[in-house]
Amino acid sequence: MHLKISIESATLANGLKVVVAPDTTAPVVTVGVYYKIGFRLEPRGRSGFAHLFEHMMFQGSANAPKMQHIKLINSSGGTLNGSTHYDVTNYFESVPSNALERVLWLEADRMRALKVDDENLRNQRDVVKEEVRVNVLNQPYGGFPWLDLPPIAFRNWANAHNFYGDFGDLDAASLADVQSFFKTYYAPNNAVLLILGDVKADEGLALARKYFGDIPAGAAPPFADPREPEQSEERRGEVEEKFGTLPAMAIGYTVPPRRTTDWCAMALLDQALHGGRAGRMYRHLVLEKQVAVEVDGGIEDIFGYNGPTQMVTKILHKPEYSSDATLGEFDSVMREVQQNGITQDELDQLTVKFRSDYYSTLEGSHGGMPRYGLMHLLACFSLFDNEPQLVNTVLDGFLAVKREDIQSVAKKYLRNDKRAIVFRRPASAQAQEAA
Amino acid sequence: MATRPAAEIPTAVPPLSLERQVTWPRRTRARLANGLEVVLAESHTIPKFHGELFLRSGNAAAAYRGTGLAEMTATVVRTGTVKRPSRQIEEDLRRLGADLSSHAGADNSAIAFAGLSELAEPLLALVNELAREAAFPEAEFERERRQKLEEVKLDRTQPGFLAGERLRKVLFGVHPYAQVAPTEEQVAAYKRADLLSVYRDFYTPENALLLMVGDFDSAAMLKTIENVFGAWSGSKPTVPPSPEPAKPRGRRVHLVHVPGAVQAQILVGCHAITRRHPDWIKLGLTNSLYGGAFNSRLVMNIREDKGYTYSPRSGVNPLRQYSYFSISAAVRNDVVAASLTEIFYELDKLRALPVPEPELADARNYVSGVFSLGLATQGGLLAQLSTVALNELPDDYLETYRDKVRALTPDDLLSTARKYLDSANMQIVVVGDRTQMEPQAALFGDLDVYDAHGKHFS
Repeated sequence: MHLKISIESATLANGLKVVVAPDTTAPVVTVGVYYKIGFRLEPRGRSGFAHLFEHMMFQGSANAPKMQHIKLINSSGGTLNGSTHYDVTNYFESVPSNALERVLWLEADRMRALKVDDENLRNQRDVVKEEVRVNVLNQPYGGFPWLDLPPIAFRNWANAHNFYGDFGDLDAASLADVQSFFKTYYAPNNAVLLILGDVKADEGLALARKYFGDIPAGAAPPFADPREPEQSEERRGEVEEKFGTLPAMAIGYTVPPRRTTDWCAMALLDQALHGGRAGRMYRHLVLEKQVAVEVDGGIEDIFGYNGPTQMVTKILHKPEYSSDATLGEFDSVMREVQQNGITQDELDQLTVKFRSDYYSTLEGSHGGMPRYGLMHLLACFSLFDNEPQLVNTVLDGFLAVKREDIQSVAKKYLRNDKRAIVFRRPASAQAQEAA
Repeated sequence: MATRPAAEIPTAVPPLSLERQVTWPRRTRARLANGLEVVLAESHTIPKFHGELFLRSGNAAAAYRGTGLAEMTATVVRTGTVKRPSRQIEEDLRRLGADLSSHAGADNSAIAFAGLSELAEPLLALVNELAREAAFPEAEFERERRQKLEEVKLDRTQPGFLAGERLRKVLFGVHPYAQVAPTEEQVAAYKRADLLSVYRDFYTPENALLLMVGDFDSAAMLKTIENVFGAWSGSKPTVPPSPEPAKPRGRRVHLVHVPGAVQAQILVGCHAITRRHPDWIKLGLTNSLYGGAFNSRLVMNIREDKGYTYSPRSGVNPLRQYSYFSISAAVRNDVVAASLTEIFYELDKLRALPVPEPELADARNYVSGVFSLGLATQGGLLAQLSTVALNELPDDYLETYRDKVRALTPDDLLSTARKYLDSANMQIVVVGDRTQMEPQAALFGDLDVYDAHGKHFS
C-alpha cells in the first residue's frame, strides 16, 4: 500500500523552501513556518534563549506591531501558536481559507523585519518564567525526564544544557541578543514555508513568491556540531522530587542515526516495549509484577530531530519497591528481548499498529489545528533531508523490518554502558527516612 | 532594528477573500430495535475511523453507590471479557491497528476507539464484547483498585487538580458534581460487586449512543453495526434524583495550602447555564471575548501587558444538569492580589460598558471561524457530533451555530455579562503557600483555608 499525498515543492531565489499540500476536505488552511534553529544551537550563557526568542516573534514586526499578529489571526477565525524543539522552531496558524493571504503576509512581515523593544523583552521574560514555574518548578515530576536526563546522558553542551533556561541566563538576555539571533538564524534560506489544505498547488506557490520572494537571503548560519563522544560507561544522576509521592526513574538509550535500517528497527522495538498496555514494559512492570504505577515513554517525535536523541522509559514505582528492585525488573524486560527477540505474530501486530499510527500522525490535530502532523513531517523532511516527498515513502522502511533486525538492534543499542538513568526521589520520603 | 532592507515591502494587511461555503457532512441517524442510537458521518481524510460508544450515565448517576464508581467500572471494563483475557484484548487491539480507552466523566461513561477502515468490523466486535460481556476478573479489579489508590494520591500533588476540586466542592456542595475524585478511603472500599451492578445498569443499548466518523460507507457501516450490536439488550437505568447544589451567594476566598509552592494557582468561578439554555451561545461569545481566546481582554491584560502569568484563560464548563464559569491563571506569588484585581476589573468592565462593535466583530469571527476547523479531522468532527447528540440539541445545530454567533450585538453581551458574570458572587480559590497568599487573598473576601486533603484549618 502506497501513500499518495499530493505535494508541490519549490525553492525561491532567496533560499526559502516552500511546500504546498492541497486537500479540500474542509475550507480551512494550515500554514507553518519552520526555522532550522532549536535548543541545541542557542548561545552558551543563554540557556533557554531559543524558546524565549520564539515568544519574541509574537511581539511585533515592521508592519504588524505588538498584538497585531495574534489579533489578526484570531479575528480571521483562526488559531495560532509556536513551539521550540531541539533542531527546529515552528510558527503555525489554522484559519478559514479566505484568510490565507493575510497569514502569509504576517509570517513574511516577521521573517523580514522583527520589531521589538526592551519593554517587550521584559514582559516576555516574566511570562516565560511563569511558564517554567507552571510546567516545571511548581508541578509534581515537572521537567521529568526531558530536562533531567540530557545533562546526565550527554557531554556536548549543545545536547546537555537546560533547554527551558536558568533564570539567571534568561535575565541576562538582551535586546542585542535578540537582534543577533534573528539576523543569524531567521533568514529565508534557513526556513521552510508550508501551506496545507484548501489551496491549489500553483496558487500556493505563487502566493509564497508574492509575499516572501523579496526577503533578502542571509549568510549561511553556523551550526554547532551536536556529535557526542563515544559513551562507554553507564551514567547515573539524581534529582529531588519536591511534590510527588512516588519515586520515579527514567532510563534513556541513544537511538541509531535517522533514516538507517537500524533506526527503523529501533522504532518498531520501541513500539514492542512502550506501545501502551500491550507493550512489554507496561505489561511486565504494571500488569504482571505490579512494581510500577505508571510506565510509558519511547522515542519522542521520531521524525523531528536531527542530532543525538534517546529512547526513554519513564517509570513511577511503588515506594515499597527499591530503585534497584524496579530497575532489575526493567532489565529483565530488556534481557528477554535481547536473548529471544520477538515473535512473528508480535511483529505483525506492531507493523499494523505503526502504519495506523502513521496515518493518524498525518491527519493529526495539535490544539485544534488540522494536519499539524503532516506539516511537521513535511517541514522536517525538507529541512533535514531536502526531500518532502519522504512523507509518501518513509513508512516502507518501517514495514520492512524483520524479527532478526529487532533482536539485533536490541543487542547493539540497549546496552548498560550506552545508557543514562535519572532517579527522582521524593523529598517527603527522604525526610521520613532521615527522621 | 533587525531589519533586512527590501526593495518593496507590502505594508497593508491583505483583506479577507470571499469565504468558501462550510458544509457539514450528512449524518446517518438510526435507532436499532434494541434501543441503541447510532449517528454516522463520513470523513475520508485518512483510511481510518474514530468512534465512541457513550452510556448516558456517569459518576454523578453512580454517586449514591460510591464516589468515582462509574470511572472505576470503566477502567476495569477493558481488563477482560468472558471470551478474552486482558492480554488478548490488548494484543488484539494492536493487531487491528486500534486505540481504545474506556472512561467515565460526571455525566457519561464511554468506550472511545479508533482504527483502520479495513479492520472496522472486528474492532466493533471487540467494543460490543466490552459493552456486553465484560467479566471483571477479580485479580484485574484488585490491581486496578490499587493503581487507583496511587493515582488519587498523585492527583493531590497537582495545583490544577486541587484548585478544580475545591471550586467544584464550593459550587456544588451536596450535589454529586462536587466530587471530582474519590478519597483514598473511598477507593479502598470499592467492591467488585459494586462495579458489576453499575455495569449491569449503565451499559445497556437503551442507555447508549454509538457515534462514528471516518472513511467508510455509511449505509454499509450501519448494516455492520446492526449485525454486531443487534443482540445486545437492556433497559434504561433508573437513577434517584440528586440533591440540590450549593449555589453560594457572596464572594468568598478558599485557600488550599501547599507548603513550598513557588507559584499561586488562581481559579475563580460561579454557576452558569447548560448547553441547552437559550443564552448558551451568548455566554460562549462573552467568554471568548473575556478570556477564552489568545486575543482576549484577560490575556492581553495579565499576560501581554503585565507579565503576571503564562496561560490565563476562562471557560464555561458545561455539565448536563448544571454548568459553571471559571477563570484560571497560575501567577507569580507576589502578584496574587494584583491579578485578582485585574480579573475582576475586566469582568466588571464587561458589565458596565458595551463592547465596541469592531472588537465584537473580531470575537464573532473568531468563534465562528474556529468552529469550522472541527470539520477538518475525524476526531474534531466526532467531538462536535457528540456535543449535539449527548445534549439532545437540534439536528441543524452545527449548520446554524455560526449564523447565531454572527447575529449577536453589543447589547446581547452587556445583558449576558450582567446576568451571569457577577463578580460580587464569584468564588475565589487560590492554591499555593499560605504564608505568601493569605494577606493578599484576604483583601477579596472572607477566608477559608484547607490542606491538600481537604482538612479545614481555620
